[in-house]
Amino acid sequence: MLTSTIAIFVVLCLIFFAFVLKDVLLAKRRHKKYRLSTCASALLMGSPAIVLGFLFVLLPIVYSLAYAFTDFYLLRPNNIKFNSFENFKLMFEEIGQKGDLFNAIKNTFTFVIGVVPLQIGLALALAIFVNRQKRGVGIFKVCYFAPVVISLTVTSYLWLEILSPAETGILNMILGWFGAAPKDFLRDPDGAMWWIVLLSAWQGCGYQMLIFLSGLTNVRKELYEAASLDGANAWQQFIHVTCPGLRSTFVYVVVTVFIGACRVMTQPMLMTGYQSHTVTLSYYMYVQGYNYRWVGYSSAVALMMTIVIGTITYLQRRFLREKD
Amino acid sequence: MKKFLKAMMAIGLSSMLMFGVGCGGDGTTDEATGEVDASGNTVIKIMFHVDAQSAEGKAYKQRIDAFNAAYKDQKIKASASYIARTAGAADYEQKLVGMQNEGSLPDIITFDAPNCASYANSGLIYDISDLVPQDVQDDFLSLNKYDGKLYGLPIQESSAGFFYNKNLFAQAGINVSGYTVENPWTFAQFKDVCAKLKAINVTPVDMRLDATKDETATYLLYPFIYAAGGEFLSEDGYTAKGYFDSAATQNGFQFLKDLVSSGYTSYAIGATDFFDGKVGMYLSSGWTIPDLDNKYPQKFPNRDSWGLLPYPKGAAAASATGSWSFAITDNHHEDKTAIKELLLWMTTVESSQTITNATGMIPARKSVENNYAAGSPESVLLTQLALTGRERPVTVGYPQFSTTFRNVIYEMKDKSVATVLSGKATNLQSELDKLKRN
Repeated sequence: MLTSTIAIFVVLCLIFFAFVLKDVLLAKRRHKKYRLSTCASALLMGSPAIVLGFLFVLLPIVYSLAYAFTDFYLLRPNNIKFNSFENFKLMFEEIGQKGDLFNAIKNTFTFVIGVVPLQIGLALALAIFVNRQKRGVGIFKVCYFAPVVISLTVTSYLWLEILSPAETGILNMILGWFGAAPKDFLRDPDGAMWWIVLLSAWQGCGYQMLIFLSGLTNVRKELYEAASLDGANAWQQFIHVTCPGLRSTFVYVVVTVFIGACRVMTQPMLMTGYQSHTVTLSYYMYVQGYNYRWVGYSSAVALMMTIVIGTITYLQRRFLREKD
Repeated sequence: MKKFLKAMMAIGLSSMLMFGVGCGGDGTTDEATGEVDASGNTVIKIMFHVDAQSAEGKAYKQRIDAFNAAYKDQKIKASASYIARTAGAADYEQKLVGMQNEGSLPDIITFDAPNCASYANSGLIYDISDLVPQDVQDDFLSLNKYDGKLYGLPIQESSAGFFYNKNLFAQAGINVSGYTVENPWTFAQFKDVCAKLKAINVTPVDMRLDATKDETATYLLYPFIYAAGGEFLSEDGYTAKGYFDSAATQNGFQFLKDLVSSGYTSYAIGATDFFDGKVGMYLSSGWTIPDLDNKYPQKFPNRDSWGLLPYPKGAAAASATGSWSFAITDNHHEDKTAIKELLLWMTTVESSQTITNATGMIPARKSVENNYAAGSPESVLLTQLALTGRERPVTVGYPQFSTTFRNVIYEMKDKSVATVLSGKATNLQSELDKLKRN
């Protein structure tokens, strides 16, 4: 482990020096003096970020990539063997058998399909609502943003109380007033994931609301005045002025919400535990890597997930930025 | 000057970061450890899974101090570290694996009994068959064995049963005096008792069917499958098909499901409902005894207000067992003589007594004198352990088994037992095949 870490560090240093050399040669070609001291102080100033980034971002990525092609079992860290594409073969076998990986992909897909439009739609609606210059709007801003600063663990437990299958569960109690029998919402194979979508959208939309809010302040008021003079109603102003003005903000929000949604784990872990109808890809990876100790296999799933998310994100950006 | 200030700032920031990174704590350690310390003592490192300030942690410390006093002249010194399982068993295991990776494994560790097979198979723990004298081995109620070899000595033992509310039983006209460990009640008698409790409008039993997020449900419910004549895995621990989905196993799970269908239990019983007098029986381990003795004086003022019944029997009798154990690690310290001394010391009758006095659990050694009154809850657990105790499946894939078991409990509420078992047996087999292939 130490040797490979040093090797990665050396490769990183070589890449860095290659860039420095390139700058030196460029400066020489342009008949300018290359100031090594400037480079050195920049490097020193940046060293905390570089060290942290190396240790906690770059190194895990490189190791995870390498482990994906090994039989790394957590309890045998000193006996790791290269096993080519065996982990990927296992992955496709499990998908074919409609095992937990198949369920994880299906549930993650359901979550993404549900949470991305719901969270963004809610965030946009709230942003437009609190953007109005009326008294008392600040209170709403705080209320809508509050769930963001509460940890997912706390909000998950809060929703567990709301959705409790007991007669004393908050939602069941309300349903009871109308004569309905208590329901076990999180056990329902068709409905549980949608409750997780709802709680996640509620918890996360406050953050995107702030981003949309800052986007809205950049839309010039003159455009609304002009549209109003042309007889545009509120809806037409939203479609023809607000939406185009928020295009770049929208791209950012879609990409970040999508990536976050693909990584969902805390909510199903706390609300239902590892169950077929709520397991997600990140949760599956966690269980395979830590509980079942298959670091190699888990890394292969992570690699595939990264490739899929990366590709979709790239396509999203290309598609949504087309008209910019 | 500006450049100099910039450089100094950068150096300062970097140093602060490095210092910060280097200051990470790693649990509490008694003292600096090393194989031989400055005074020439051979230092034996031992790691416990509990907080040093807990009652159990203090009991361990007391025994370690006694060991150091007794072995002072022999220049052997034990050095203990306490890694509390704040985030569950997996967190403790992470620490172990990290230490194994760094080559800094302590000489002796504590581990949860079901992990014996995977730890032994991976070379994390050491074969102690030849280190522990046969008479000592024979004195334990159970041993941690894998592949015919001894890998661990239990610190203490556990068993579970049905705590019941004597007032509710009297109201329902139920007499359970004939249901003893030697003559356990049957599945049918269990259902009869439930029916009588239901008739007085209380929830008959909390089977802990909702405790599927951790090991609790597996630990408390697996004996029902054995009692129904079922099995989980083949003897080598690698085959689930034909065992996990067998007809007898299905009967065991069906019995549990029938309790739900008949309204005798449910998946939505509040955590304190039994203690509030709303539930007739409560399936739990010995750790509930101190709670009933001390925490609920309103409903359970004394031991005349509650009792403990053994597991009911079906085709066979079976009850829950298993707790934490001591093992010597395979950390390449060739001379295990001093390590063996500490291992044996920590499992002596005296150590067993000290530790179980602190935890309220059952002593792991048969020769530990106990003053349990005949018919007392502790006596029921101890006798049950000796007569019907059956350990959880010994398999390298225990985490996979446990998860699958809990999934069955969770999913059988809405699907037929046969359908759930068939699907889960396939999944479990696929996980076990993965282990076998590697």
